[in-house]
Amino acid sequence: MFLNPWSLALTLCSFVVLILGAVAGKTAVRVLRFWEPGSDSNRQIRLENEIWLSSTLVAYGLGFQIITLILFVLAADQFCQVIVGAMCATGALLANPYGMPALLVKLFGVFFYGFWILLHQLDIRSEQYPLVRIKYLALLLLLPLLVLDVTLQTLYIAGIKPDIITSCCAVVFGDSTGGGSNLLSGYSQQELLLAFIISIIALVILGRGLLQRWQPWLAGLYAAGWLWFFPLSLVVITTVISSYVYAMPYHKCPFCILKPEYHYFGFALFGTLIPATFFGASAALAGLVRGKGGLAGVVDRYQKLAVRLSLVLLVIFSGLSFYHYLKYLIIGGEG
Amino acid sequence: MAQYNIEKQLNILDYALSSLWRRRMKSLSVLLVFAAVIFLLASFQMVTQALSDKAKQVLAYTPEITLQKMSAGRQETFPLTYKDQLDGIFGIRRVVPRIWGYYFDEVRLANYTVMGMDTAEMPEGDRLDSALASGKMPSHEESGRVVIGHSIKKGLDLGGRSTFSLFRPDLSLKPFEISGEFSQNTDILTNDLMVMTLDDARDLFAIPAGQVTDLCVYVANPKEIDTIARKISDALPAVRVLTRPQIQKTYQVVFGWRSGFGSICLLAALAAFVILAWDKASGLSPEERREIAILKVLGWETSDLLAVRFWESVIVSGLACILGMTAAYIHVVYFSASLFRPVLMGWSVLRPELHLLPSMAAGDILLILAFTVIPYLAATVIPAWRSATVPADSALGG
Repeated sequence: MFLNPWSLALTLCSFVVLILGAVAGKTAVRVLRFWEPGSDSNRQIRLENEIWLSSTLVAYGLGFQIITLILFVLAADQFCQVIVGAMCATGALLANPYGMPALLVKLFGVFFYGFWILLHQLDIRSEQYPLVRIKYLALLLLLPLLVLDVTLQTLYIAGIKPDIITSCCAVVFGDSTGGGSNLLSGYSQQELLLAFIISIIALVILGRGLLQRWQPWLAGLYAAGWLWFFPLSLVVITTVISSYVYAMPYHKCPFCILKPEYHYFGFALFGTLIPATFFGASAALAGLVRGKGGLAGVVDRYQKLAVRLSLVLLVIFSGLSFYHYLKYLIIGGEG
Repeated sequence: MAQYNIEKQLNILDYALSSLWRRRMKSLSVLLVFAAVIFLLASFQMVTQALSDKAKQVLAYTPEITLQKMSAGRQETFPLTYKDQLDGIFGIRRVVPRIWGYYFDEVRLANYTVMGMDTAEMPEGDRLDSALASGKMPSHEESGRVVIGHSIKKGLDLGGRSTFSLFRPDLSLKPFEISGEFSQNTDILTNDLMVMTLDDARDLFAIPAGQVTDLCVYVANPKEIDTIARKISDALPAVRVLTRPQIQKTYQVVFGWRSGFGSICLLAALAAFVILAWDKASGLSPEERREIAILKVLGWETSDLLAVRFWESVIVSGLACILGMTAAYIHVVYFSASLFRPVLMGWSVLRPELHLLPSMAAGDILLILAFTVIPYLAATVIPAWRSATVPADSALGG
């Protein structure tokens, strides 16, 4: 179903990002072949100019990818109006096998782009550009991900037939009584909530510890903690938190909270969780390149900042996620 | 550190603003063309949005299930006795027979929608009087009385009279007396509508007694619509069963398709604009080269110059968006989207005076931004880099 403004916008944006990626990729190949930091040849000077272009392009690409991620979810929400049986984005994304993979690739793609920008920012802080080769190798590795993203998205849009019956979110995420397909079942709410709270406390303790005394293994543990906390949060948001936001016990859906009816609450929730995870995980990642020439001071400063930011965002995120839950416990349900 | 960065960005923003102002003719031309492109796309999006909202509102009052008899792929009348076969199905609140047809008025060259039904039988029938500007709905035994829509009254040119006649198929005249008039609030539905009793409609169209064109089935619980529809189609296999959700989805597909088609046509305009923006951004005058060279000599880095260009693009697209979207809103709300209405609404002789009110959610604005701003930013980034890497010595003529 390409003849729809949402599909067209998504395809257009992907096309633009692909072009930007291809231009940046061309620079990457030249850098990997001809980069000589010591030389003052014409080619080296041209290359030094070109790395500005490619990093700007990737920065734009990252921005555009974040927009297409939001656009993709909103588009799925629109598509559900034309797919028989789908009532929200969940049904629309499950309408064919490419929907969910496309969403996941987009979501994780944003992290990888972010890591690249981080490498770039660290690199230009040092006068010797010590990370140029790593950076451009990483860029070349990112391009297949970009192509995969665009391919899945195109397959998804092409595969939407406005007459396929799919499950609506009331069946997919709700407690299934019949034989409906249930994405996230078999988790007990209490245990999940307990794991969620323990993880938050553990992350706060680890983060505080790191700020007082920096140790590489502790930073690794902190990053691993975030990598565990991110999927856990997605599950908890879907199965526990969302139904408190909707004030409906059987409505469990991570997408409807993004709608204006719920005051765009989901954007605040995901908008703190995703950057928090990024900063939490990137602190340890930045530590990996600390040994390169002239980067020690820069990396140290970034790591402190990243841990501090991730902690602040974590506090905001947990406040937001428990708001509706506590409100329900204290003043009861709505009307 | 953060304080310093913010101050730096603010200063760069300041510089970008002044640089835009220095080249105001160039900036203004790009801004106006960009605003025009956004205006076209946003109008299209808003009309679609408003029309599909309107369709949703209208459909909310239609019966949950409509039954029609099909023969050789065409609709035909069927006996009222079909109604008896629905008796055994639980969950049906009421079944209302209806005659729905179109009357072509050869004198005025206009199509009227004629609906014959017994309004007292409808679940909300007694509330229908509130949709009338004057008079009341004709009741079962009031033969010859009709309620008409706004355009029909204008088209018939009645003056002070309250009677008029229409031709039966055999060209004999059937007289009618106006018993009421629909209010203009419901124009989208009632503009060309004429409501009369079942017997009058049969008489007008020469339909045999006991025959109707549709049966409206009202269902108490919306969750049972599909089940009841399946049972009906089992009981009456020759009958076409239309459910309200099905009709709603069809409308959505049609509006989405039309809007997508319009957007594809507008992509040509967008492409032309992107080429213009690319061209404007890459053609550097000697003064601009000199300016960049001086900034570089003063210690500006490539990244600072790129930031200036970025802010310039953001300012231009932001202003263009505000201009274009405001103009689109005015076009849709106050001028009823006169540019695009024929494309989106189809064609009819009696055009309802439609008042469209688009409700733009944040998502729709994001959609328009993605359509316009992203290609623009992408088109200006490579020229911006080219201008930012002008070697200082050559530009200063050294």
